Amino acid sequence: MAIDAGSPAIRARQIGVEEGLRVVELFIGPQHPASGHMRLVVYLDGDVVVKVDPDIGWVHRTMEKLAETREYVKTIPIFERMTIIDSCNITLALVQAYEALLGVEPPPRARYLRTILCELNRIASHLYGLGIGGIFLNHSTMYMWAFGDREVFLTLAEMLTGARLTHTYVVPGGVRRDLPQGFTDAFAKAKRYMLRRLKEYDKIFLRNPVVRSRLEGVGVLERAKAKSLGVVGPNLRASGVRYDARMLGYAAYGELEFEPVVGEYGDSLERIWVRLKEIETSLDLIEQALRQLPEGPVMAERYLKMLPPALRKLVESTGRVKLPAAYVNLRPPPGEALSRAEAGRGEIVYYVVSDGTDKPYRVRVVSPSFRNAVLFMVLPVGHRFMDLPAIYASLDYFPPEADR
Amino acid sequence: MIDAVPLLERVLTPAVLAPLLYPGLATALVTVLLVIWLERKIAARVQMRVGPYYVAPRVHGALQLVADGMRFFFQEVIVPLTAGRGFLLAPALALAFTAAAFAVIPGGPGVVGFKTDYSLLVALAALSLTPPLVLLMGWASNNKFAVLGSAREALLTASYEPLLFMSALAAAVMYGTLDLVAAVEAQARLGVVGLALNPLAALLFFVAMMAATDRIPFDIVMGEQEIVHGPYTEYSGVAYGVVMGLDYVKLYALSLLYANLFLGGWLPFNDPLAGSLVLYVKALAVMAAAVFLRGVYGRLRLDHALDALWSKLFPLAVVSILVSALIAYYLGG
Repeated sequence: MAIDAGSPAIRARQIGVEEGLRVVELFIGPQHPASGHMRLVVYLDGDVVVKVDPDIGWVHRTMEKLAETREYVKTIPIFERMTIIDSCNITLALVQAYEALLGVEPPPRARYLRTILCELNRIASHLYGLGIGGIFLNHSTMYMWAFGDREVFLTLAEMLTGARLTHTYVVPGGVRRDLPQGFTDAFAKAKRYMLRRLKEYDKIFLRNPVVRSRLEGVGVLERAKAKSLGVVGPNLRASGVRYDARMLGYAAYGELEFEPVVGEYGDSLERIWVRLKEIETSLDLIEQALRQLPEGPVMAERYLKMLPPALRKLVESTGRVKLPAAYVNLRPPPGEALSRAEAGRGEIVYYVVSDGTDKPYRVRVVSPSFRNAVLFMVLPVGHRFMDLPAIYASLDYFPPEADR
Repeated sequence: MIDAVPLLERVLTPAVLAPLLYPGLATALVTVLLVIWLERKIAARVQMRVGPYYVAPRVHGALQLVADGMRFFFQEVIVPLTAGRGFLLAPALALAFTAAAFAVIPGGPGVVGFKTDYSLLVALAALSLTPPLVLLMGWASNNKFAVLGSAREALLTASYEPLLFMSALAAAVMYGTLDLVAAVEAQARLGVVGLALNPLAALLFFVAMMAATDRIPFDIVMGEQEIVHGPYTEYSGVAYGVVMGLDYVKLYALSLLYANLFLGGWLPFNDPLAGSLVLYVKALAVMAAAVFLRGVYGRLRLDHALDALWSKLFPLAVVSILVSALIAYYLGG
């Protein structure tokens, strides 16, 4: 068949010239084995990346707008779907904002239970990121191991909440279930297992010469640059900035001993290393929380009082909270609230405005992945094309979270 | 009427049967299915999984690859409108060249299609004809990912081929012959396998073999996470089956070479049947070792791989030839 010189067929191979560089424009994603739900437009000069244009918004689900049409308690499952692998961390800040508007305090036991689920989520989320990071370097063993071991923590979360991923455990005023029997023992077993596995991860992945050569010195993010770009989470801490929203002391973090994991050089290897270390920190936090877990109700007295006496007795005996019918018509007084929490990928911020009706007037969320997306434009430039997946692997970027 | 018997006699010669039956295409096909199944099972074992299981659970999913192959055959072969000349010719030719190598690779004692004093050289030459065809595949695909993959293939080929030939040369110097049959006989005479005599050459040949057949950590040409499937991106149906199987057929051919050069070929047996079986099992073991590394390593970066092949392994290949020369001097002199 005849192909004329101007046809797309020729242009697909043709090398264009842009700003004096011989550039190939490459569209990676959204239909690509390693793009995630997004598109990266990559400009290459030979094998060197000249420019990367992250084209986000592919899985935008209008969560903020949807929230304006739902009753307060019904917005929680919506935002939960932003990052289903990290749902407790993602919705905790939202619920805290609602609680501030409603003027309700969760009982201490509920605060501790929230912390426990948040840390379980963080471990599962970091393992997810580690697995995805492994397959970005075509290290299928790391991928399978991380995903396999993540199951341990999903099972624990299921034990606590009844659901593997979208728990909707944290609700205004407390949590929906008390700690089940045998959870402490199950967690102790899981912790022993995970600490052993972390050593094996270190051997097969972080100290693997092939993996090291892919990650070491690649995509270095200097401390000052990380600060000026507004990067959050493990990516920020790997660059040597000691900042973690958990240091604010929300939920039970203020009463637990906790030291954020901080890196030094901020290269891809260190970003992955920080996540692995954070798994250890999280295990330790859960253990502390379980040890210090106060006795008492898991739901604010204000809502428990609304239940009929028989139902109230049932809640006390089973530890499973039945929400009163009036709960769906929560009407916070007009006002606004800002709340933040440390999710698996970094700090998440909610800004909620109430106009006194049963639906929020406005919910604004700034998600950690959205704040980290800028790194795609900064880090790969000047690196080899094959470094792009390595950098993506180290960022633990989750497109649905950025797109909301 | 034409007498069929002389015709059959002419067709049913080792020169025809070896490339087609054993160790050639028919065996290669079975081996490819077996090795891919083995690869998936080994990887699954390492990764706390079961691996292929649902097709024929009684034999642990060994027929999974047969099912996959059948699917490839009945799938439509899509040739992109923008594809250039040679899109379908290139995989067919590449397979033919690889099969041609089996004409000279001995499959056992006396099981040689075409006897020549230069069988090692001919086999390697036939196998090294495939990379240009991979370049053609990428170019004809007319897809940016495919063209990038072809560029990687070109760079990598120029780096591993010297290593492959040098380490083969080291073996040839050691045995004083370029004939594979003579190489095995030399090992029988010396009473030691090549692996023990010159482990360096054996290791380098193995590494070059991994690079030549796109095995992890050298699976840079496929580069799924960057360039989708490299030069093979646009292939579908049976054409995809061929390009995917090509690397495994090549791996099989090179493993046979490896077994003959470094593992003593069909030794300790001299009976055609037992000898062939032993050689095949040795080649299978080499292939299993090659595919096992998938569970250990990730993918090397292109420039690191080129750097390692040229600046670290190539000088070692020169050393291995010197070692071989010394061995030949002491053992032969």
